[in-house]
Amino acid sequence: MSIEAVNITKRFGQFTALNNVDLEIPSGELVALLGPSGSGKTTLLRIIAGLEFPDSGTVLFDGHDIGDRTARERRVGFVFQHYALFRHMTVFENIAFGLRVRPREFRPSRAQIRAKVHDLLKLIQLENLADRYPSQLSGGQRQRVALARALAVEPSVLLLDEPFGALDAKVRMELRRWLRQLHDEIHITSVFVTHDQEEALEVADRVVVMNEGRIEQVGSPDEVYNRPASPFVYNFLGNVNLFHGRVDDGKTYIHEIETGHVVYVRPHLLDIARLPTGGSHFRARIKHINAAGPLVKVEVIAEWGDPVRVELPQERFRSLQLMKNEEVFIIPKDVQVFPTRKEMARAK
Amino acid sequence: MASITLPNPGMPVASRAVHATTEQSWVRWSLILVAVTFLGVFLFLPLAIVFSSALQKGFSVYVAALREPDAMAAIKLTLISAGISVPLNMIFGIAAAWAVGKFEFVGKSLLVTLIDLPFSVSPVVSGLIYVLIFGLQGLLGPWLAAHDVKIIFAVPGIVLATMFVTFPFVARELIPLVEAQGTEEEEAALTLGASGWQTFWRVTLPNIKWGLLYGVILCNARAMGEFGAVSVVSGHIRGRTNTMPLHIEILYNEYQFAPAFAVASLLALLALATLLAKTIVEWKARQQSSEVQRISGEAL
Repeated sequence: MSIEAVNITKRFGQFTALNNVDLEIPSGELVALLGPSGSGKTTLLRIIAGLEFPDSGTVLFDGHDIGDRTARERRVGFVFQHYALFRHMTVFENIAFGLRVRPREFRPSRAQIRAKVHDLLKLIQLENLADRYPSQLSGGQRQRVALARALAVEPSVLLLDEPFGALDAKVRMELRRWLRQLHDEIHITSVFVTHDQEEALEVADRVVVMNEGRIEQVGSPDEVYNRPASPFVYNFLGNVNLFHGRVDDGKTYIHEIETGHVVYVRPHLLDIARLPTGGSHFRARIKHINAAGPLVKVEVIAEWGDPVRVELPQERFRSLQLMKNEEVFIIPKDVQVFPTRKEMARAK
Repeated sequence: MASITLPNPGMPVASRAVHATTEQSWVRWSLILVAVTFLGVFLFLPLAIVFSSALQKGFSVYVAALREPDAMAAIKLTLISAGISVPLNMIFGIAAAWAVGKFEFVGKSLLVTLIDLPFSVSPVVSGLIYVLIFGLQGLLGPWLAAHDVKIIFAVPGIVLATMFVTFPFVARELIPLVEAQGTEEEEAALTLGASGWQTFWRVTLPNIKWGLLYGVILCNARAMGEFGAVSVVSGHIRGRTNTMPLHIEILYNEYQFAPAFAVASLLALLALATLLAKTIVEWKARQQSSEVQRISGEAL
């Protein structure tokens, strides 16, 4: 089922959580709402679910306006950050809940419920834990139960609010791959909220980057990462060095003083060399080297005194044999230039 | 887990206090003595006197005092007023806790303050309020008299006064509990298609059941033992508007000590039963949570 948010505005007192947001999510896609806290992503998800109602605007499912339907009537599967499992029910009872509360004429028989729950337990690989209580499960297991519970009612869309936010790093990695696999199997339109750009880029078909109640960019992980529409997106999706600069005749110049444009360069798009090569470069002195991890992180001080972060592949680092306090040349391989806020305001 | 054997450091450790916060033994013992003496004089001694005075003239007098018609009427009235006010206060308490704990609305803090009102008002004043409203010289008195409805100096007044005095117990017990549990489980139930009633019966109520039981026990103890407010509205008509506490007072004022203490011993027994029930409920609730922790410790 496709989801469409039309012109949604939501305020909490003085705070504007969503400001005229429009979003289209095609049927069957797995979409990430990505943004810092306070960007409105969770509010948007809750409005789609019917747990929150917008001040203006509406939500369409498959082109039908469902703005006045309650959460109960929308048939969405919702997965909460802190699982929200029913603590006094076993895993089995939790998953069966949505089927048991149906009106009698739509309620499956006991045997059907049992079969359905067991299918779901198999899906989440927790068949032998059906009689446990939520407090007897690990965080990752709880979140899988929450997912099975949401899927039991055969929802038309699946909404997940920071589904892996409360888990430790390793379980998080496993679970997000598992979610991706699951989605490839059942193809239910899914939206998940996250503030972790790595998670969004790895799992989602499309990423919606949000900031201060607005959508900054919608695109595939490749698009938002490699062709960011705004400085915010560029900044939010990875580490970045900022330089003052300007563009002239298709050439980018880096300056020491404010010039109305900002040049963004990711640390791994900077190279270090002992000699100035033909292209652009600037002088710098190495201040700190951290060789742990797949990339070597080198902090240098540019000739005008600002710190710059560079990330080199291990082989490159070894072949250079860099030393602390050494004078080197920094060579940008790719840069992005955006006008500063002030410049944008002036242009308007 | 592998065990580690530490080499003996050769220092006498055991003679020292084990914890930094442990006081010297004479301090500990004198504090314990003070506490025990206090409890003995103010709690156990009176309790012992109640039972010994009740049985002073033998068991047959004790039983006769309880089976006497006025005493039976007082016991019956006490059970009736508790039997009406406790369930009503339970419903009110759940409703108030649900409203305060799960929703944001204008006047919420005013409501919480009002719930506490019976705790802060003297019971005698609480009783007087009803006399001023429903009494013959009161606000609604003439109208009630014209329609032959008796509230003051009758059973309805006693029930009303008891309800007023005891209504904070359940609500006070539940509000913090409901607030701490938040609304996520209810939201989950809604998205799974449960109606408001289903959510309440299947999700909210099971989560608060121990707190609710605890509040009901305290509420019941107070409802049966209430003296001040009931005294004002009762009119002390023997065999008709006397509750147990009022009956005890009358007997005592008439120097019928053995019967007075016999009825008092019933109230004291109620207090002991309440304490026992309260301890069991607390123990059950704690056991449930520690059981859960123990197993989850294994699971992690």
